[in-house]
Amino acid sequence: MLVCLVLCGKLTAVDAAPLCTNAQAGCHVLSLANLFDRVIQHSARMHGISNDLHSEFELYFLPSKNQIGRVSRNCHTSSILTPNGKENAQRMAREELTEVILKLLVAWRDPLWHFHQSMAHHHDFNNFSSNKSLEMSDMVHELRKGVQKVVEKMQMLGIISNSVSNLASPEALLASDSAEWRLMKDYDLLYCFRRDSNKVQNYLKILKCRIVPEHGC
Amino acid sequence: MMKKFGEVILLLLLLLLFFVPHAEGTRYSLPGKPALTRCRSPEKETFTCWWEPGSDGGLPTTYALYYRKENSEMVYECPDYHTAGKNSCFFNKNDTSIWVNYNITVVASNALGSTFSDPVDIDVVYIVKPNPPEKVAVTVMEDKGWPFLRVSWEPPHKADTRSGWITLIYELRVKLDGENEWEMHLAGQQKMFNIFSLRSGGRYLVQVRCKPDHGFWSEWSSASHIKVPDYFHRERSVWILITVFFAFIFLIVSWCIHINSHSLKHCILPPVPGPKIRGFDKQLLKNGKSEDIFSALVVSDFPPTSSSNYEDLLVEYLEVYIPEEQELILEESKDLHDGCLKPKGSTFDSDSGRGSCDSHTLLMDKCGEAKDDEQQTDRDGSQTGSEAQRQQAAWEQEALTYAHEDMISPDMSSGRVKTWPSVFSPLPQYSLSPLSQPSSLETAKQHCLSDSLFPPASLSSYLTQPGQSTKEALRSSYSDFCSSNKQPHLLHPQPDARHHLQAHSDVNISSIGHKEAPAGLQLPTVQSTEYVEVHTVNEDDMVLLHPVPSGHSHGKGCLQMHQGEDYSKVNGVDKNNVLLLQRDVIEEQVDMCPCENQDMNGATESCCTSAQKSIPCIHTTLPVQEEKAVNGYVDTATMFPLPIH
Repeated sequence: MLVCLVLCGKLTAVDAAPLCTNAQAGCHVLSLANLFDRVIQHSARMHGISNDLHSEFELYFLPSKNQIGRVSRNCHTSSILTPNGKENAQRMAREELTEVILKLLVAWRDPLWHFHQSMAHHHDFNNFSSNKSLEMSDMVHELRKGVQKVVEKMQMLGIISNSVSNLASPEALLASDSAEWRLMKDYDLLYCFRRDSNKVQNYLKILKCRIVPEHGC
Repeated sequence: MMKKFGEVILLLLLLLLFFVPHAEGTRYSLPGKPALTRCRSPEKETFTCWWEPGSDGGLPTTYALYYRKENSEMVYECPDYHTAGKNSCFFNKNDTSIWVNYNITVVASNALGSTFSDPVDIDVVYIVKPNPPEKVAVTVMEDKGWPFLRVSWEPPHKADTRSGWITLIYELRVKLDGENEWEMHLAGQQKMFNIFSLRSGGRYLVQVRCKPDHGFWSEWSSASHIKVPDYFHRERSVWILITVFFAFIFLIVSWCIHINSHSLKHCILPPVPGPKIRGFDKQLLKNGKSEDIFSALVVSDFPPTSSSNYEDLLVEYLEVYIPEEQELILEESKDLHDGCLKPKGSTFDSDSGRGSCDSHTLLMDKCGEAKDDEQQTDRDGSQTGSEAQRQQAAWEQEALTYAHEDMISPDMSSGRVKTWPSVFSPLPQYSLSPLSQPSSLETAKQHCLSDSLFPPASLSSYLTQPGQSTKEALRSSYSDFCSSNKQPHLLHPQPDARHHLQAHSDVNISSIGHKEAPAGLQLPTVQSTEYVEVHTVNEDDMVLLHPVPSGHSHGKGCLQMHQGEDYSKVNGVDKNNVLLLQRDVIEEQVDMCPCENQDMNGATESCCTSAQKSIPCIHTTLPVQEEKAVNGYVDTATMFPLPIH
């Protein structure tokens, strides 16, 4: 890591910096824009799956139209402060935004895993839904790692400070990640996750167009 | 009275109460239940909700929209009822929160009361419907001569795609002016698109629309018209080129076929081989006279029906053909016997001097083929006795015929009798068969044959006028010689034998020459010539010669002097095809001619004749008759019955 920082510190171009720190053989040199595109695509897919599952839930388990009770639905991630508008998101610093993304992704790792477990035992769901829940659970995990790589690259390039990585550690989040999500029902969980995956995707796009705007922004 | 009046008034009031409302026709009620029809956000920053009012209930009704945000009990009223039109509520940026659940309710109220609509939960993220793309531009461009449409556009100005807040995907559609079917194209996130495969001179309409990641399609943009220029002439020129090219190719191909029509015809339709029967006249066949055809095939003279009429078989002159191999002699004899019995007649043709088998008047191919075949088979060396006998007979006949032939030179004008030297003249005069170049062996064979047939005595007598007694001697010796020729060994005469015979012939030549001189014939004198007679042919195929009694010509050649000598060995052959004999001494006692007389006179002849009789000639009969042909020949026919040893 230090060696790479020394070697790559002199580089000014965003795209030319290699990603692999240990100079592994066969390691492709990816640009930051390329990395961003990959994570964004990943998050888009994740959101698509969550959307499908949510629609399925609405189909089979039609919730009561009584909206009164549903207003008080509370996602366990509501404690995380997320920008609710474009101006708010643009006003937010890159590090903050990155932190929010990482927090969201970390917060959903365990709940999705348990959701998948409950889905597997639920006889009302077909195998297609069960596979989707598993895929969704894996995707959150992969996306988090991808975003962490992006963060590392950005920190390497000096785009953002090093304060972000500290927040990505699971230990720091365990305290805040209480067992609130265990109280959520499956349908609410899917609802919340669908929203949060959309947030992640949107925040990543904002980050990309802010940092590497020349590619498709 | 008052009571009645009061009841009437009460009834009237009741009636009024009933009818008055009906007379008015309206009834105030609560307003009907409104319903939120839709809420839309064009850029994910603001949104608008529209509702449908219900019945108003006869009273002026007012509508109010109330919303409540997620996790909050605060109820807010719509901030803007006018921006979006009637029965709408516009939420500006300040009031809009994304990823927040709005619970919206519309309330209709009038004097009598208010009616609430059903609440609707919305999240702004999922109600985005952007405006249509703007600045749609369509141009005609060319790609290597072929035109295509390039459509370009821009996202709606409200949608912020540059910051990544919204991601839009686009779609366009094209159709020809006047048609009903649209051609759809999905362009993705790009803002430019090319359309190919255009119709020349067509008029097209193009429209574009867009959609966010999770939202609704926008409306189609206004149609853009474009006209594709004509490029029909370009297509036509291509077709003209292709037509000309193929016409050219066709001309070349037809020319080639015409040039090679013959060979092509030969290749495709090979000619039917015609009949190859010799003597088969196709013209006769075409004329349709089958009788003539088949009569032409029949050889009238073959097989010989009248064998008794030997005169028919008499051949005036024969052509000696000596093949290279000794075995061929027999084959030839046999062939000649089989195939050459046709009377040649007196016609003298250009074939004279050649082998009989080469004459075109005979069945030439048959002769030659048979001869070749037999040569081949005989080379194997298998000879049966019967075959040998046949061949002997053939040989004899051939010899006889040859004898005739030998005696006749091409020049018939001078009569049958010819000078001996002319007979034994160098081979070129002999006009041999052109097929077989006369080699030494052939020459030897010729001379052998002639010699065999004509012992010196007979020759001399031959030269003289016929009718003398020498004829008998001639015949006898002739036969003797002949019979000796029948020896089976002669069937495979070796070169030595030939040489012997040739030497004999040389001797004869010389002797004859010498002999003829007194006869009046001008002959070169030969000094030392002796006549030898074939005595025997030993096992080695050597012809043992006896010196003939010198009564014929040379006294020197009297066998007395050569007692015990035989000229059966050839010393050599000089270049004039003259055999050089070598004297050998043999034990055989030969009755010598007591007369040493070099003169040719009858005494000697008689002496020799007598001597000849005592000679152990290997013969048994003297069937030779005095019969002579008109031309002075020995009739070959009489020779046929000669026994075969």
